[in-house]
Amino acid sequence: MFLLGRRNFLRGATAIGATAGLGAIKPLWAQTLDNRAVLDVIKKPIPSTGEMIPAVGLGSWITFNVGNDPVLRDQCANVMQAFFDGGGRMIDSSPMYGSSQDVIGYGLDKLGARDRVFSTDKVWTSDDGAEQIAETSDYWNIDKFDLLQVHNLVGINDNLPLLFDMKDAGRLRYVGVTTSHGRRTDDLIAVMKNTPLDFVQVTYNPVDRKVEDYLLPLALERGIAVIVNRPFQGGHLIDRLEGEKLPDFAAEIEVRSWAQLILKYLISHPAVTCPIPATTQPMHAMENMQAATGPMPDDDMRQRIAAVIGVL
Amino acid sequence: MSEWWSYSLADFLLFSPRVYYRLFETLNTTWWLAVTAALVAGIITFGLSIRHGNRGNRVALVLLAMIWGWVTAGFLWYYYQPINWIIPYFIPAFITEALLMVMFAARRMPLRFGWRGDFSSIAGVVMIAIAIFVYPFVGLIEGRDLIQAELFGSAADPTAIGTLGFILLARGSWRWVLLPVPLVWCVLSSGTLWVMDQNIALLPLIAVWLTVLGGWMDQKSGVTRRSLPDTGGDD
Repeated sequence: MFLLGRRNFLRGATAIGATAGLGAIKPLWAQTLDNRAVLDVIKKPIPSTGEMIPAVGLGSWITFNVGNDPVLRDQCANVMQAFFDGGGRMIDSSPMYGSSQDVIGYGLDKLGARDRVFSTDKVWTSDDGAEQIAETSDYWNIDKFDLLQVHNLVGINDNLPLLFDMKDAGRLRYVGVTTSHGRRTDDLIAVMKNTPLDFVQVTYNPVDRKVEDYLLPLALERGIAVIVNRPFQGGHLIDRLEGEKLPDFAAEIEVRSWAQLILKYLISHPAVTCPIPATTQPMHAMENMQAATGPMPDDDMRQRIAAVIGVL
Repeated sequence: MSEWWSYSLADFLLFSPRVYYRLFETLNTTWWLAVTAALVAGIITFGLSIRHGNRGNRVALVLLAMIWGWVTAGFLWYYYQPINWIIPYFIPAFITEALLMVMFAARRMPLRFGWRGDFSSIAGVVMIAIAIFVYPFVGLIEGRDLIQAELFGSAADPTAIGTLGFILLARGSWRWVLLPVPLVWCVLSSGTLWVMDQNIALLPLIAVWLTVLGGWMDQKSGVTRRSLPDTGGDD
């Protein structure tokens, strides 16, 4: 029986680091990465091209909106470092997320990691989408995004054609659409049915499972990659599970925290390409990447995970 | 925005308490001299505003205007605006508030402050005292470091609460022109703090309630419309 919650895991690891490595220069998460073999991270295909990407990404909602604070900007860069070192590639942001885009650009500069990132952002305006995308490019200091998505379907009649035009012109690799909290599901379904989307981004976790009924099967049928936002309900789900014992069967899939159990639940859905958990802790970023390794739950275990988390 | 009913206040808050309170830590440590000067200016303004007579009214208004200018440039513009999308909409309002104070100071008969011993005066003094002397320490109760203290004159919340107190201490109907900006700010800030699950959210709301009540009682009694006795002072 595993007794470790996410924070207990971090506290324990920090304590071990404090006692064993007082003279160490590198932070604990970096030492931990140094001391382990390179993670054999599961990769999933983007259906429209077959390109493989790591099955866990990095979100930036709230966590990377740290403004001009140099200390917090460096902390975000540390999270990105741990994420990349753990084998991650996709980082997602939005013009809606305050200073997050700028902070990601700062992190990429600091780490020299533009060749490692799968750059994912959004267009979120009813006005001039092209102008907003140009601003976003400046923040990231990147010429060509891997993926741009119409955020929450805002201005979709103008913005989606704009993105497809960019893709046709070779200035963008993939086109997507996002929603969150299950909003505008009917509109999203219509777009998925009628346009050649590469990606769709939806809210999904063991508590919010409505997408399992129709959206995920539709994505599979249409060959659309699925990014999962709010895998931890913005952190509330992890807070709720803090202190609770992991179920016995978690050991079978080499899970050491609730966060990893939730991520394995999501990754193991055949339609899901990449959940994008957000974090402020490098150790959590590394722990999230570890969820994309080792055995995955089968259908039966997925049902048990949802049942256990649903009642806690 | 479609399906607006499915959004909650929390959906519009895109930063964490950790980042929010770091704003004050960075402000206090980077600009400690200006922060201290602004706090001292607030204390001087407090002293001037509760005196009888006409002396010091212009000075008090100019100091308040400078404080609002500093809060706009130092806190709102450089620190808060990058993490909160609503701040750019408030910056013109804060500048307007500072300019209005300058205009009131420049009038032949400047806006007058003074202790009257009525409900508004008491409420005004209490609000200013809380804003200057109590508000910085409230964070300690919530487990924050003192270095993250929100100080009158630099942080927007205590400055807005204190300004409402100064307005209650003032006389005349024109003073109400100064009311909307700090009043709306207090409501917005209370909502922000409430979403962040901070108990301090109640303070700006109490300040709003006291101001509205004080203003209503002043209008009812007509006390602020009566002219001051000539004390022979000048500005």
